[in-house]
Amino acid sequence: MSEIRDTERLLQAYLEHLPTRQGAEGDAKVLADALTAMQRTKQQAAQPGRILWRTIMTSKASKLTAAAIVVGAVLFFAFFGGFTQSAWALEDAIEAMKNFPAVYMVGAFPGGTAEIWIRANKTKTQSTDVVVRGSHGAITWTRDGSTYHYEPSQNTVYFEHALTIGMAQWLGPELLEMLSTAENAKIVRGKDPATGRDRIMLLCSLIDVHGAQSWVIEFDVASKLPVAMKQWQNLDRSGPPSFDAFKIVYYEDLPDDVFDVHVPGDAKHVEKPLQIPDEAVGIMSNPQDGISVEGMTQQEAAEKTVRALYLAVIDQDMNTLKNISPLCRNWGDEFLRKIIFKPDKDDRIVEILEIGQISKTGRSALGPIATVPVVVKLKNGKKAEQQMIVQFRQFGDTASCVVHGPYGLPREIDY
Amino acid sequence: MLEDKVLMWRFNRGDPAALCRIYEKYRAPLLKVAAALLNDRSGVEDVLHDVFVDFAQTTGQFRLKGSLKGFLSICVANRARDRNRTMQRRCSTTLDEAMSHPAGTVGPEHRAMSHELIAKLDAAMTELPDEQREIIVLHLQSRLPFREIAELKEMSINTAMSRYRYGLEKIRSALDGELEP
Repeated sequence: MSEIRDTERLLQAYLEHLPTRQGAEGDAKVLADALTAMQRTKQQAAQPGRILWRTIMTSKASKLTAAAIVVGAVLFFAFFGGFTQSAWALEDAIEAMKNFPAVYMVGAFPGGTAEIWIRANKTKTQSTDVVVRGSHGAITWTRDGSTYHYEPSQNTVYFEHALTIGMAQWLGPELLEMLSTAENAKIVRGKDPATGRDRIMLLCSLIDVHGAQSWVIEFDVASKLPVAMKQWQNLDRSGPPSFDAFKIVYYEDLPDDVFDVHVPGDAKHVEKPLQIPDEAVGIMSNPQDGISVEGMTQQEAAEKTVRALYLAVIDQDMNTLKNISPLCRNWGDEFLRKIIFKPDKDDRIVEILEIGQISKTGRSALGPIATVPVVVKLKNGKKAEQQMIVQFRQFGDTASCVVHGPYGLPREIDY
Repeated sequence: MLEDKVLMWRFNRGDPAALCRIYEKYRAPLLKVAAALLNDRSGVEDVLHDVFVDFAQTTGQFRLKGSLKGFLSICVANRARDRNRTMQRRCSTTLDEAMSHPAGTVGPEHRAMSHELIAKLDAAMTELPDEQREIIVLHLQSRLPFREIAELKEMSINTAMSRYRYGLEKIRSALDGELEP
């Protein structure tokens, strides 16, 4: 009898080549039964509510938050599934809307109804004030550059220091220009079966920094204004909408107290963790993308990555932009030029003034994430600050970074 | 490893494609673990089936300690042990039939071994106590380090290594004279 090592080697050969007979039929049965079990578990899990932030933000109560993103997400750092050139049909509607700096919507989301009030800034370039009130007491609102969500069942206010709801581009000609640049959206004409009035339906979808979303926006032909909207948190408008706005009213002005929010004095305050949507992780997991940050601290790596991104924007370097921010690959080049490069616009970025310290950290399945504030100078001389989310990645021995996208709306600053 | 992390993350969010990918990636090694641990190899497919159906039901709450391969291998080992006990198939009269290899499915290395040696190995493995047999299979076939086996089976690393060593000694004794120095 030989040494124990020989026994190991013999056993290894024996075990490695043990016969097995599982064929395609067996595989199909295992997968069919496993997928059925998985689906059943998902359905059961959809019912109860656990007191976790992630659950809170996807709960029936907080789906009203998603509703507040509405058209704003489109222009955030937008990712359109696309529009056809027939967006011309919206031109009159956009012209009509631009006169109204405030909008009120009423709609339903799974589990309740919500009212949404949105008001533009003075120059009507983006929204500043948003309040979303759910029928069961939950409220989401913005104040002084931060976003808050009050969950009455937990008597807790969740907050984040960024404007993560609202509209990055207010209603107007700029919106039309962007929409008309995108591809593959659908415009459907018809009559409202209830009123007999002519209407135009705009169908679109996108994956943006908030994840997959799709909309159907209904325009009344006579008034040239959107009068209803449905929103889904998927790309194919499947299942019940996450928000169904059945009433939309436009205002020339609104009193400030519309945006006042009062919560119980003893409510807990909890900062919302930094997260990125599921869809983004897969898109950002290609090792070929991003830039190497070998041997750098997180701060150095974040600065290098964000600087490279903004230089690509300033230089209008499309390939580098997509390499550093892979989510941009979801959009057409022409659309990206319009919304990010803005070559013929006064508000295009011409200089990086400052890249600040990492302001918030979190984690995705790919590794750590962090927000970094960037101050840029626009061609018109104005300065703006935008926080960007950087994803740190480690593939084998290689450290690299990509940019997920903006964290909240940009803000003009005095610098 | 990174792929497994992403797969688990997607799996926990209910992505069916992630479950399919996990199955596709690990079915072959898991079938071998089951074949090595079951006294009745006709139950290999049933064990794999039950493990994946149970695994699928953890979507949304699965928390991985160690490697995914290690976790699934342990699940197969546990399920195989239960089945062995249930079937109580340690009867030598039916063992030969159960251990017989289907025609054309024996690998080249097995063909290089004599039929007698394979039969001895089959018998020696079957005679091992479950806890020793499992450690040998998980270490030699699934290539799991002792530390990971110990963590997954909630035992000390010394216990895992001892069981492995005792198991090997028994196999060596059973094969006395078969191994060339």
